[in-house]
Amino acid sequence: MIGFMKKDIAMIKNNLKVLGVLVAFYLIMGLFGEIDMSFILPFMSIAIMISTFSYDELNNWNSYAATFPNGRKNSVKARYLTTVLIILIMTVITIILSLFISYTLNKSIDLEMTFLNMLAMIFGTALVQSFMYPIIFKFGVEKGRIMILVVIFGTVIVGGLFSSVVDLSKILNFLGVFENHWPLVLIVSSIAILYISYLISLRFQLKKEF
Amino acid sequence: MENILEVKNLNKKYDNFELKNVGFNLPKGMIMGFIGENGAGKTTTIKAILNIINNYSGKVKMFGLDNTKDEQKIKEDIGAVLDDMFFSEILTPKDIDKIMKGIYKNWDSVMFNNYLKEFSLPNNKVIKTFSRGMRKKLEIVTALSHHPKLLILDEPTSGLDPVARSEVIDIFQDFIQDDDCSILLSSHITTDLERIADYITFINDGEIVLSKTCDELLEQYGIVKCGEKEFKKIDKKDYIKYKKNAHEYDVLIENKKEFKKKYNVQVIDKITLDDLMVLMIKGVK
Repeated sequence: MIGFMKKDIAMIKNNLKVLGVLVAFYLIMGLFGEIDMSFILPFMSIAIMISTFSYDELNNWNSYAATFPNGRKNSVKARYLTTVLIILIMTVITIILSLFISYTLNKSIDLEMTFLNMLAMIFGTALVQSFMYPIIFKFGVEKGRIMILVVIFGTVIVGGLFSSVVDLSKILNFLGVFENHWPLVLIVSSIAILYISYLISLRFQLKKEF
Repeated sequence: MENILEVKNLNKKYDNFELKNVGFNLPKGMIMGFIGENGAGKTTTIKAILNIINNYSGKVKMFGLDNTKDEQKIKEDIGAVLDDMFFSEILTPKDIDKIMKGIYKNWDSVMFNNYLKEFSLPNNKVIKTFSRGMRKKLEIVTALSHHPKLLILDEPTSGLDPVARSEVIDIFQDFIQDDDCSILLSSHITTDLERIADYITFINDGEIVLSKTCDELLEQYGIVKCGEKEFKKIDKKDYIKYKKNAHEYDVLIENKKEFKKKYNVQVIDKITLDDLMVLMIKGVK
């Protein structure tokens, strides 16, 4: 499995220039702008990881990987572990940059709030990736894009209908139970959704015809 | 002779094509050429052997082990080159070395790097800068560098110039020096197979038409070229297929000696694998 992760990381290295541009953009916006761009780097991990799927698809890597020992399983496992690694790296970079910007501008920083924001970013990123990966493993990047749009569109419609039937204030009241435990809730939820997503992707990959 | 690969009654159905009871054996220390026209079922058979397709029936054994139950153990000892399937073009051979170390227990970096030097493949250049020949050589070198016992190669020499093909064939011949190692090699370039294959297995329309030693095939089979009058004298059971050309008949026969004796024919042309394929596919009985 380590080999598969090394492959993903080697491919991601090719995106370092884009990442550098984004870091510079974040720094400029942070130092001279008013808009908080802290979401940009964790979300960048989505684009980075999708590019690894695209490169794999272009070269029929998944078929080739299936000829390796435990190739099908390890290719999925490695993709999720690399995702976690990239999200964490991006988060750390964002925190360091936020601290640097605050220090440079002599602004006080609410560490607790920054930490919570970061966890929310991690959860959001993990949620999007957990949703996208099984679809991409099943249909590939090209067909997967259409499927993702179909699912998002369907979710919006179902969500709209749901909100018109159910009293949303009750749900918000229920979420209030977690008020003092948000960090834990966000961490556990992120891990749980990624794990469930991994199991679904693995199922698709094991049944896939190459 | 012990078989390294045994394929029995392999069946797989698609909408427009099916594999029908495909079976053959590859003994240890041998190279088997797997031939057939495009779409005949070579790649599907290879994919079933490697267990990378689903819903096929039949038995495949490698090293005496079942290809589904003992898949992971078997795959440590297999090197595969599949048509148009490899690492991303943005990686370098150096990356591949690092990656494969984490995939195969027996990955041999020294061997890999020696091969790279031997075939003048640059270590630090991305694959997309490689010519087709260089890329193919890299695929083969990658398949060889974890000391596999069985190489499964789908069209490994296609698109290569004669010099590159010759180099690749030399690698296969070196590999086979170890009596425990074998190669299953599908190819359209039958002249290469005539040079290195010990066995030929011919698949047509999803069915195995023949599986014999190459020597047996090239020595015993032949083509009788004759006119219509002579052709009509030949008993149907004495030829496999025939093809009517503008001025003569090409008749594929299975046993040159017996045919010569029975019909008092002096000249029977030697067969090539190309002739065999054309007559088997285009010929009639």
